Amino acid sequence: MEVELVNVWHSYDGFTYALKDVNLAFKGPGVYVLIGPNGSGKTTLLKVLSLIIRPSRGEVALNGAKFWSLDERERSSLRSSVVYVHDKPILVRGSVKYNLELGLRLRGVNVDRAVLEHYVERYGLKDVEDKPATRLSSGQAKLVSMVRGLLLRPRLLALDEPFTFLDSARASLLVEDLIEVARGGGVVVIATHYMHKELRGCSRQVIELVDGEVASRREA
Amino acid sequence: MPESILSVTLRSLYVSSTAAFIAFASALALSAILARVPRRRAEMALGVFEALVGVPTTVIGLFVYMLLHPHSPLGFTRLLYTPIAIIIGQFFVALPMAFTSMFRPFYELRESVKELVLSLGCSEKLATKVLLGELAPVLTSSYLLAFSRAIGELGVALMVGGGIEGYTSVLTTAIAVRTSIGDYEVAIQIGLILLCITISLALMLKALGERVLWR
Repeated sequence: MEVELVNVWHSYDGFTYALKDVNLAFKGPGVYVLIGPNGSGKTTLLKVLSLIIRPSRGEVALNGAKFWSLDERERSSLRSSVVYVHDKPILVRGSVKYNLELGLRLRGVNVDRAVLEHYVERYGLKDVEDKPATRLSSGQAKLVSMVRGLLLRPRLLALDEPFTFLDSARASLLVEDLIEVARGGGVVVIATHYMHKELRGCSRQVIELVDGEVASRREA
Repeated sequence: MPESILSVTLRSLYVSSTAAFIAFASALALSAILARVPRRRAEMALGVFEALVGVPTTVIGLFVYMLLHPHSPLGFTRLLYTPIAIIIGQFFVALPMAFTSMFRPFYELRESVKELVLSLGCSEKLATKVLLGELAPVLTSSYLLAFSRAIGELGVALMVGGGIEGYTSVLTTAIAVRTSIGDYEVAIQIGLILLCITISLALMLKALGERVLWR
């Protein structure tokens, strides 16, 4: 999958801009790291990239198609290959298992029990899978939202501060899975305010964002 | 022969549950409409309804009476002193309660659910389904509050229903009538029935919220 942002500007209030003339291309699979201080526009950029926010100006192109110019049916089709994992996990009422399966259920896809079990075991969620999602610790909630995203096998996976609240063992497991997504042809974009040790050596490109603008871009 | 307590109870349940349901459905529709307006305006609308919660039921009764009186614009409907008149009145009594109890959670969850659905690569249209699932406990208690407010009010039932035995007499008017004629024993019995209905309904819905609505 190829994703391109062309002259993207975005403002929430019409006065101040969270993104200013951003031009970025994610050509080909790999792990891309978006780095920048708090308030630099990382989350907004990820949401624009993940087709959640329509930018105030500019274009978002997926495999050459200008997303926001497409009709509803074409948008739905393209959107189904994109997943965004929030900084603060949004979990719904119900058990952990229900939350893990939510994306698949909404898409009307049958849940592959073997794959689900694999992730549940891998991230140590077995003991809590029948418990209410609202009673999870911050780290567990984060893991549930990560696994929920991974289960959808996205072609573009955007993660906002994915390592917050995770211990180093689970952070390493997550990096392994993200590399696996990239190896399968997916684009993984990670927003973080500092370069975690888990990301060193596996990222294809590091993009620095400062005050809503791309300050630098270097191959890792 | 005086009307049996069972008959009055059944009428009360029918009238109040109908009024509460219409109020609940209207509150849901109103919430869906107001959830699309800017927060400040929505809060203003909420403030108006919060104020209306405290309006005495006799004032609402007077308003509905004026509306349905034979010489009023809706007089031709001949609904005054009928169970439908009580339903209309109780609808106005229950609506502010139903709306104020559901609107804020509705407003706050709507945005996050929409974002969740989009973040999972799904169409925005699916957000309504997820939102209703998320709001199920809130909606359940909202209906319960509307019903409790409707079944427990006296002003409307007396003013536009008239407490006619065998026709518009409901639990609260029956208590008032029995007390006024000194029949305290029956009045207390009916009072206890009213209390049992509201408490058992609350417990039933709570159990429903914890078990059936669990997923």
